[in-house]
Amino acid sequence: MGSVIGRVFIVLIVVISSFLWVGYAVTSLTGGEKKAATAVEISPEGGEAIYWGKGRCLTCHSIGDNGSAVRCPNHGVWGDKFPLAMGARAVERAKEREKETGLPYTATDYLVESLANPGAYVVDGFKNEMAVVFAPPISLSLDEIKAVAAYMQAQGGEVDINALNAPSEISKKFYDRIAAASAAGGGDPGHGEEVYSSQCAGCHTIKGKGTALGPDLSAIGLKGLKPISDSILRPAESFTPGYETYTVMGKDGKEFFNSDGKKVSGVKLKEDADSVEIAIGAGAVEKVPRSNIKELVVDKNKSVMPDDLIEAMTVKDFQDVLAYMLLQKGQDK
Amino acid sequence: MSQSPRFRGFFDIGRAGAIAALFCRRGSGIAVLSAVFVLALSTAAFALEENVYRQIAGLDSRKLVWFLAQMHLFFGAFVLGVPLFAVLIEIVGWKNKDAKFDKLAYEFTSLLSVAYATTAAFGGLLAFSLFTLYPTFMGYMAGMFKDVMILYAALFFGETFCLYMYYYGWGWLKGGEPFPRRVQLALKVAGAIVLLIGAIFFFGGFGPKMRGDTRTFMTVLYILPIGVGLLLIKDRKGVHIFIGILLNVFGTAIMQMANSMAGFMMSPAGVSEKGELTGTAWQVFENVLATPLAIHRMMGNLAFGGLVAGAYAAVKFIGSKTPEDKAHYDWMGYISNFIAIAGLLPLPFAGYYLGREVYSTSAVMGNNMMGGDFSWTFIMQAMLVGSLFLISNYYLWSGMTRIPGSERYYKYIKYILGAIVISFAVWLTPHNLPLTGTEVSQMGGTQYHPTLKFFGLMPAKNAVVNLIILATFFSFLLYRRGNKGEMVPISKQGKAPLIAIPLAGLIAIVIVGQYAVYLLGLDPAALDLPADRAGYFRTVGLLLTFECIAAVVAVILALKDKGLLAQFVYLGTTAFSVVFFLGVYGFVVMEKASPFLRNIAVAQFMQIISCLVLVTAIDIFLFKGAKVIGPLKWGKMTARSQYALLLLTIIITLNMGLMGFIRSGLRSDWHIFGVMRDTSPWSYTPSNYTMTQMVGLAVFVFLVGVAFMFWLGGIAAKKGKDEKGHAPTEGGDASVSNKKDTGEA
Repeated sequence: MGSVIGRVFIVLIVVISSFLWVGYAVTSLTGGEKKAATAVEISPEGGEAIYWGKGRCLTCHSIGDNGSAVRCPNHGVWGDKFPLAMGARAVERAKEREKETGLPYTATDYLVESLANPGAYVVDGFKNEMAVVFAPPISLSLDEIKAVAAYMQAQGGEVDINALNAPSEISKKFYDRIAAASAAGGGDPGHGEEVYSSQCAGCHTIKGKGTALGPDLSAIGLKGLKPISDSILRPAESFTPGYETYTVMGKDGKEFFNSDGKKVSGVKLKEDADSVEIAIGAGAVEKVPRSNIKELVVDKNKSVMPDDLIEAMTVKDFQDVLAYMLLQKGQDK
Repeated sequence: MSQSPRFRGFFDIGRAGAIAALFCRRGSGIAVLSAVFVLALSTAAFALEENVYRQIAGLDSRKLVWFLAQMHLFFGAFVLGVPLFAVLIEIVGWKNKDAKFDKLAYEFTSLLSVAYATTAAFGGLLAFSLFTLYPTFMGYMAGMFKDVMILYAALFFGETFCLYMYYYGWGWLKGGEPFPRRVQLALKVAGAIVLLIGAIFFFGGFGPKMRGDTRTFMTVLYILPIGVGLLLIKDRKGVHIFIGILLNVFGTAIMQMANSMAGFMMSPAGVSEKGELTGTAWQVFENVLATPLAIHRMMGNLAFGGLVAGAYAAVKFIGSKTPEDKAHYDWMGYISNFIAIAGLLPLPFAGYYLGREVYSTSAVMGNNMMGGDFSWTFIMQAMLVGSLFLISNYYLWSGMTRIPGSERYYKYIKYILGAIVISFAVWLTPHNLPLTGTEVSQMGGTQYHPTLKFFGLMPAKNAVVNLIILATFFSFLLYRRGNKGEMVPISKQGKAPLIAIPLAGLIAIVIVGQYAVYLLGLDPAALDLPADRAGYFRTVGLLLTFECIAAVVAVILALKDKGLLAQFVYLGTTAFSVVFFLGVYGFVVMEKASPFLRNIAVAQFMQIISCLVLVTAIDIFLFKGAKVIGPLKWGKMTARSQYALLLLTIIITLNMGLMGFIRSGLRSDWHIFGVMRDTSPWSYTPSNYTMTQMVGLAVFVFLVGVAFMFWLGGIAAKKGKDEKGHAPTEGGDASVSNKKDTGEA
C-alpha cells in the first residue's frame, strides 16, 4: 500500500504543480494584482488609467484592437459600424442629440451624458445596460468621470479640459446627478425613478406624476439627504404637517369600518358639512357621510406612510431612490 | 454609505474566497460553539465603530483566513455530499433486498465520521481566527444574523446526533420484524400530513413572503424528504433510513444558513445604506443570492462528495491484492463516478442561474465575472471543467472493457474523443491574445487572430460547451447498452412505458415550448432593440418549436418500437439545433441584435435539458429486460482508469477553490457590497498566480489530510473486522463478484 500512496502523491504533486504553472503563466501574460486606482488628474492619461483600471470600462468596451470586449460599442475605429473613434464620433452624436432634444449639445456634453446617463442614447444594436459608474462597486468620483471623458475626447477628437471644468448647462445637470448619487451613497437615480414609481408614486407626486394623497415631492431634494432618508426609514418621526392620520369614529364611538371591512383611517383629503373623505391607502379614498360619524380623531404623531416600506427595498434600491429624490429640486431636469 | 466616514476601516476578509467559505457548508460543533460563545460576548457593532484589524505573527490575515476557510469548506462539502448519496444507495439496497448496496452505503458513511471531526476542528480554527483578526466585521455580521446564528448552532446538535445515530446504529437498526400495522399506519398518516403541509407551503399557504426558488428549495429538500421518509418506515431499517434523511435535512439547512451569510455579503438586504437593520431577519437571511448559491452548492457537493469517495475507491483498488477486493472497489469507484456525473451535468445550469442572479444584483459584478478581472480565471476554470469532462469520459470508456459486448461501440469512441478535444480547444481559445508589440505587428497590427478570434466569442463557446455535455451523455448511453443484446419491444412492456415516455416527452416539450412561446411574443423594445429585430427572436422561437415537434416524433417512434431511431431523431435534432445552427446563428445575432445573445444561450440550455430527459426515458425502456451478453466483469479495469478517478478528484477540488476565489472576488473592494467598503491593507484582487498558490496549498493539505483520515478509518475497520470476523454491516459478507451483475446499477 505504501507504494500506492507514493504514486498517488506524485500524481497530486504533478497536477498541483501544473496548476501553479498555469497561474504563473496567466499572471505573466495578463498582469498581477488588481488594485483600485488612487486619485487621478483630469487628463486623457488619467482617464486612460481609469478606463483600463478602476472604471472597468474594459469589461464591456474596447478601443479598436485594444481590449477584447464586444458587449458594448467599441470606442475606437472598428469595422463598418464604427468608422469614427469616440472623440470624433461624439461630435456627430452631439448633433443627433441636439436634434432630438432641441438643446445645444456639444461633443463634451454628449460624452458627459453618456457617462452620467447612458440610457439617454443607446447605440443601435446594443442594450441599455451600462453600469452606473458613480455607484458601487465602481464608484468613480466626478473628477474621475471627467478624466474618462477627456480620454474619450482624445480618441480622434479635440481634448477640451476647460469644457469639462466649466460645464455647460447640459453637462452641469449631469454633474448634479453624479453629486446627488454620491451623496446618497452611490445610488443610481435612473433605477431610483423605477423604485419610486413602484413604491412611492401610489401616494406621492413628482412634477404632477403619481397620486396626490401624500405630499408633493417635486422639491424634496432641497431638504437634503438626511431628512429624506429619515422619512423613508422612520416615517412617523418626520412627516409633513397637514398629513396627520385621522381616524373616523362611528356613531357607536368605535372605529368605523367601510363595506370591505377596512378601518377608515388615513389622510383627510376633504371635509364639508355632509361628508369626510379619507385616503386610507394608495389610491383608495373613502367618503363617509357625516351621519355615520361621531367624531374624527387625529393622531399628530402618526404618519399614514407605511413604516415597513424599506422592507420591500434592497440596499441598492434604497440608495437609488435616495439619489433620485435628491435630484428633485423643483425644477425641470 | 459607501462614502460614509463611519465605515472607514472596514476590512475585507471575503475578497479572496475567505468569507465565501466562512460559514459555508457544514461546519462543526466546535465551530458553532466557539462562534456562539464569541457572539455572546460581542455586540452588534453596526459599523458605527472604528474598525479593528489584527494580525498574528505578522501573517497576512486575509490569506490566513482564506486558507482556513477553504479547508473548512472542503471538508464540509465532503461531509455534506456523502450522506446525500449514502442514503439513496441504502434505500436502493433496502428496496431491492441487495446487501451489497447496504455495505457500500455503510462504507461511504464510515468515511464521514473522521471527516466530521476534522471539519469541526477547522471550523473552530476559522471562527476564532475571524473573531480575532476581524472583530468589528464579525460583530456586525453577528448582529445582522443573531437570530439565524442561534438556530444555526442548534442545527449542529441535530446533525451530530443524526450522524452518530446513522453510523453507529447501522447494525442495531438493520431490519427485523415489521412494526405492528397500527404503528405503520400512524407513521403513514404522519407522512401524509407532512406532505400535505409541504404542498400548502409550496403554494404559499403559510410562511413569510419569500422567493419562489427559496420556497421550492425548502419544500423539495426539507419537507418532501421528511414526508417520504415517514411513509417509508415499516421496520427498524426504515427508521435508520429516516435518520439518514434527517441527517441530510439538518446538513442542508446548515448549508443554506451559511450560504445566506455569504450571499448577504454580495447582495445585502434588509439593511439601510448605513448598514443599519431596517427590515426583518428573514429579509437579511433570504437575500437575492442566498438560494441560488445554495442550489449551486448542493449539486457541487454531490459531485465533490462522489469524486472524493471515488478517489478512496481508486486508491483501494490499486492496492487490492485479491480479485474480490478489486471487484468491490471497482464497483464502488464506478458508483462514485456515476454520482459525480449526475451532479456535474446539471451543475452548469445551476451555475448559469447563479450567474444570472449575480448579474441582476449588479451588472458590474456580472460583467466583471467573465469579462473583467476574472476573465482569465474563467479560462483556467474552463481548462479544469473541460478536463473533468474529458477524464470522466475516459473513465467510462475504460469501463467498457469490463463489459462483454461493448466492443461493438468502440468505434464511436474516437469520434467522441475528437468532438470533446476540439470543443475543449475552442472553449479555451481567448478572443484576443496578450501579445508583445512585435507579435502584434507580425499579426498585421491586431491582437486578434484572423480565424481563431471567432472561437473566443460567446456563440462559439456556448456551442462547444453544449457539445461536450452531449458527447458525455452519448458516452454514457453507449456504456449503458454495452452488454445488452436482444431487446424487449417497448410495446410489450405493459403500461409503464406508455405513461413514462409520453410524460418525459411532455416535460421536454414544456421545457422547450414555454421558451418558444416567450421568444415568439418577445417585444424587441424589451431588449432595447428596434422593432425590425423581432425576426431574430422568431427564428429561434421557430427552431424551438421544431424541437417540440421532434420530441413528439421521438415519443411516437419509441412507442412504435423504434426506440433507437427515436433517440437518434431527438439527439440529432438537439445537436444540430444547439451546436451547429445556434452556434453559427449566434454570430449573426451578435452583430445585429447583441442583447439577444443571452436568450440564445438560454434556448440552448433548454434544448439540452429536454434532450437529457427524453432520451434517458426512452433508453430506460429500450433496454429494459434486454438479453445480457455477459455479466459485468468488475475488477477488470486498468490501473490507468483508477488514476483517472484520482485526477478527477484533484481537479474538482482545485476548481472549487478557483470558483470560490471568483465568486468572492466579485465584490471587489467591498466586504458587504454597497454597504461596507474594504479599506484594509489587503484591499486588492490577488493575481491568478496568488490564487493558484493559495488554492494549490489548500488542495494539497486537504487531500493529504483525507488520505490520512481514510488510512485511520481503514485501521479501525480492520480492527473491527478482526475482532468480529466481519464488517459491522447488514451485508458485511456480501461480495460483488458473487452476484450476477447486469450493469443496471
